Amino acid sequence: MSHLGTLISALIDGELAGAELDRANAHLAGCDVCRTEAAQLRRLKRELSALGEFDAADDAVTRRLLAMTHQNGPVMARPLPRQRGRRARRRRGRYVMWSAMSIVVVGVGAAAFGMGGSPSGSNEPQITPQLEVFDLQHAITSGDVPFADPSSTRLPTPPTPPTPPKAAKRTSLKASLRASAEATRP
Amino acid sequence: MRRHLGLLVSAVVTVTIPGVLAVLAILGHEHAVSATDAVSATSVADEGAVGPLPVAPAGTNLAVRNSVAGVQRTSGSPVTVFSDVAASQQAFAMHLLGLAATAGQATSYQGVEVTSQSGVDGNVTVVSQVWHQGGGLTLVRTPSGATPVVSYDTGDRSPAGVFGVTSAQVSLLGKHYVAAYRGVGTSSGRPASIIEVYRFDGSLAARFWLDARTLVPLRREDFDTADKMVSDELFTQVRFGPLTTPPAGAVTEGPALASSPESAWVTASSPAAVVASLANRGARLPGTLLAGLPLYAAASSGTGAGQVIDLEYSDGLSVISLFVQQGTLAPSMAGWQSVSLDGSRVYVSGHSVTWAGQGEVYTMIADAPPQTVAEAVSALPGGGQPGLVDRLGRGFDRLAHLVDPFA
Repeated sequence: MSHLGTLISALIDGELAGAELDRANAHLAGCDVCRTEAAQLRRLKRELSALGEFDAADDAVTRRLLAMTHQNGPVMARPLPRQRGRRARRRRGRYVMWSAMSIVVVGVGAAAFGMGGSPSGSNEPQITPQLEVFDLQHAITSGDVPFADPSSTRLPTPPTPPTPPKAAKRTSLKASLRASAEATRP
Repeated sequence: MRRHLGLLVSAVVTVTIPGVLAVLAILGHEHAVSATDAVSATSVADEGAVGPLPVAPAGTNLAVRNSVAGVQRTSGSPVTVFSDVAASQQAFAMHLLGLAATAGQATSYQGVEVTSQSGVDGNVTVVSQVWHQGGGLTLVRTPSGATPVVSYDTGDRSPAGVFGVTSAQVSLLGKHYVAAYRGVGTSSGRPASIIEVYRFDGSLAARFWLDARTLVPLRREDFDTADKMVSDELFTQVRFGPLTTPPAGAVTEGPALASSPESAWVTASSPAAVVASLANRGARLPGTLLAGLPLYAAASSGTGAGQVIDLEYSDGLSVISLFVQQGTLAPSMAGWQSVSLDGSRVYVSGHSVTWAGQGEVYTMIADAPPQTVAEAVSALPGGGQPGLVDRLGRGFDRLAHLVDPFA
């Protein structure tokens, strides 16, 4: 009777499947030698696995202890909160700077707005337009008769002409213009 | 650290204030420069739109022709679509108007003129007695006027004309309108030649009656773009020939001519340069084009209230005289009526409008449609509260002056 041989480790590792797994299990049921070998292999595998877990934990603990015993170890843990504070201060400084600039700009703008409100300085002359002079100049340049002083040119109080013409009556401009236009229109 | 922060803020303040002031000063300067540049630009654009009357394909549909002409005119391109007929009519009508300008100056006449205008504050009518000695003296008396107003036609001074028909105005008219001879009619009981003046869009702008014998204008009508009559001037009585009735005061008025106000005006050789100098002193004028009217003359005069600058804008029909003085309006404006014109508080008297804006007093005397006057007023620094930009600009100017009084 031949034994499982190398198939035992494959069986223990769970690498067999299907008909091969059935054949291996059937053989183990009837063969004490292979069953014993399989049991030993399983135990060995369990022990190896336990060793591996311990090593990993032990390595973590070792690294932690090394870190605690390092010369700058405790100091190394503090930079994070310190950097955060510096950044915050920088940000606060930036806020202050922008606030100061805004205050300056708004202040200067408000001052300019206030100073620009008065259209004239206190030393600017107060003027009453010399209408008669201007009207005559306008008449000369435009080639038309000058209007007289302002109070004499309003329709509600029309002046009395030396020879009353039709157009000087108290009529609307449109009516008077139409009437005279019809009389002379070609 | 706090000390460093304080230093930082101080440094920022120290750098920011002069920096902001410098930037604003530069911006303000550029604003003034751009206003001056606008002077040149509008001047060039205006000159580009004038020239000899173009002759165009005859037989083109009138409406199409006028539309194309309007587009060309608006874009500043030379107008090219007038027909041969229109061109010949223009030449003949302009010839007659030129003769009328000369006749109005050279012919002796006396009569009664009635001038009616639509102003920004209602209609205005004035009746005047006029005596004109050919080639010389013109006396105008309004019934309510205590003394006759005297003008004197001499040398190269702008001569007085009849109903605005002067050589200068006729020359401008020929550049901005199309005139057409429309046959004969009557006015003041006299036979007259009729000339109609059209805009480039084909709408009627004015109509003249020229005395058939002397060519002196007997009547003139002006229309706005809505075809509404905005001005009518006519002789209700007129007689040509030697003056038979010497006007009272004519002899005594003669010696006063030397000191008459008109003699104080000094005509500027370059009107655009006058506008530029006003811009340099802070008067923000629109340039050499005001409400579509080109600047064609400028003069200055020294008065008790300081120097007065007279800017004359005209397209040959509408005339605006703009008088600019540094200062502010007197608190009491007797004889003027306060009205709101396009949001600006102005004072109106007859065809005159005055207001103060940005340290200058503007007085505008206009023979123009009310909408043109309103447009011109709104194009100038307002009589109301200054806008935010103007107010800030003026404030920064003053702040800069405080920081550097020698700037």
